[in-house]
Amino acid sequence: MFKLNEIRELVRLIDETSVTELNVEAAGTKLIIKKELGVAAPVIVQPAPVQAAPAVQQPVAPVAVPQPSADQPATKEDKQPVDDPTLHQIISPMVGTFYQAPAPDADPYVRVGAKVTDKTVVCIVEAMKLMNEIEADVRGEIVAVLAENGQLVEYGQPLFLVKLD
Amino acid sequence: MKEQILELLRQHSDKYMSGEELCKRFAVSRTAIWKHIKDLQEDGYQIEGVRNRGYRLLAVPDLVTGSEIRNGLQTRRFGQYVVDLKNTGSTNVIAAKLADEGEPEGTLVIADQQTGGKGRRGRAWYSPGGTGIWMSLILRPELPMAQAPQLTLVAAVAVSLALTEIVGQKAGIKWPNDILFEDRKVCGILTEMNMESEEINSVIVGIGVNVNQELHDFPLELQDRATSLRMVTGQRLQRAAAAQRILEQFEVLYDLFLREGGFAPIRELWKRQSVTIGKQVVAQTPRGVIKGIAVDIDEMGALVLRDEQGQVQKIYSADILLAPPV
Repeated sequence: MFKLNEIRELVRLIDETSVTELNVEAAGTKLIIKKELGVAAPVIVQPAPVQAAPAVQQPVAPVAVPQPSADQPATKEDKQPVDDPTLHQIISPMVGTFYQAPAPDADPYVRVGAKVTDKTVVCIVEAMKLMNEIEADVRGEIVAVLAENGQLVEYGQPLFLVKLD
Repeated sequence: MKEQILELLRQHSDKYMSGEELCKRFAVSRTAIWKHIKDLQEDGYQIEGVRNRGYRLLAVPDLVTGSEIRNGLQTRRFGQYVVDLKNTGSTNVIAAKLADEGEPEGTLVIADQQTGGKGRRGRAWYSPGGTGIWMSLILRPELPMAQAPQLTLVAAVAVSLALTEIVGQKAGIKWPNDILFEDRKVCGILTEMNMESEEINSVIVGIGVNVNQELHDFPLELQDRATSLRMVTGQRLQRAAAAQRILEQFEVLYDLFLREGGFAPIRELWKRQSVTIGKQVVAQTPRGVIKGIAVDIDEMGALVLRDEQGQVQKIYSADILLAPPV
């Protein structure tokens, strides 16, 4: 589920760039932000059809998107990359549980605003007690954390947005 | 040279090796040979020295050294290169470092004692000196990332089969890879993966087996849920021999998994060795507790649980508690 401040952060990001549309999927929710000329950016939130147990979420702004029918999963939209070349997605390489910290009582590996390099560990994805330390693989700054601690993430699901150096 | 002398004595343990022979072989003085023999005796090797006949190896101590691990080991890769440590923080940490430096698959790090043995999610693994097998194996599987978690089930089956054979009693697997005797944990497995540009670079499989502890050797908080091979069999065991059986089983199953059979035969073996399937369980997941009956593992290795509402749930990460028999 997206937090309000995360959505706000994304909207501001879109606003400051030439990007007109942003699709991200996390926490069983797909978020589509579109910017139209001279019009305030509508924020659309809908359950992601590929998620096993989609979280129910209240839209935070006028919704204007057709519900995808059951036999027509919105796979094309899911795969659409972020247009802004300076915004890099760190995606989950496998199905598993997303952890922001090495232990329940430890500090998160990274927070929004953190500078990362290729080798910086940003999170752990665990499945069947295999701990996969995900490295940033890029240099930049974390601008959004797209998954929640302890949440089940899918293969290919975006976990972080990084503003590249 | 000390290790080479030991190897010679091993090979000729049915007779005496003369000091002169040893001097010739290594081109050193008798005093030098004597010093190494004394060194070995201090390590715990029982070596008899008889004037005019020579040296003979009578008994080997319970050591987890490269020499003891490799001696008679029936593998091609696993454990053929050993880094043995008297004392270290965590063998997984050392193995990860070695993997990063390019050490090949099968490299084994083993320690007599760990001061920072790791469990899941920042927990500690109690690993005192002289009592257990604390080892980490470097793997470099050519495997799609999505299948990597299945390796932890391969490891579980390997340890379970090895310990079943050693003890003569079923070592049960609790999902995903704890090994139990009579509902008490004898072995934990912690696997850590490192990626390189979206591919598997290395997988470190850390295996901790309680071997020669007695009940009072465990901290109080573990005494009602831990056990050791000694507690089950009533006998002290050579740790290196047990480690060898685990490495041999693991290599066979790993090759089966990667090259021929895939996960299907591993899944069958896992289910056969499991003490989880069919049981009432409590799954403590990061998102709350789920109670239900463990009905299966799926083709990825996830636990399939039918909860109290009759809903089928797949579990990827959890601590599983087996409900006590009613």
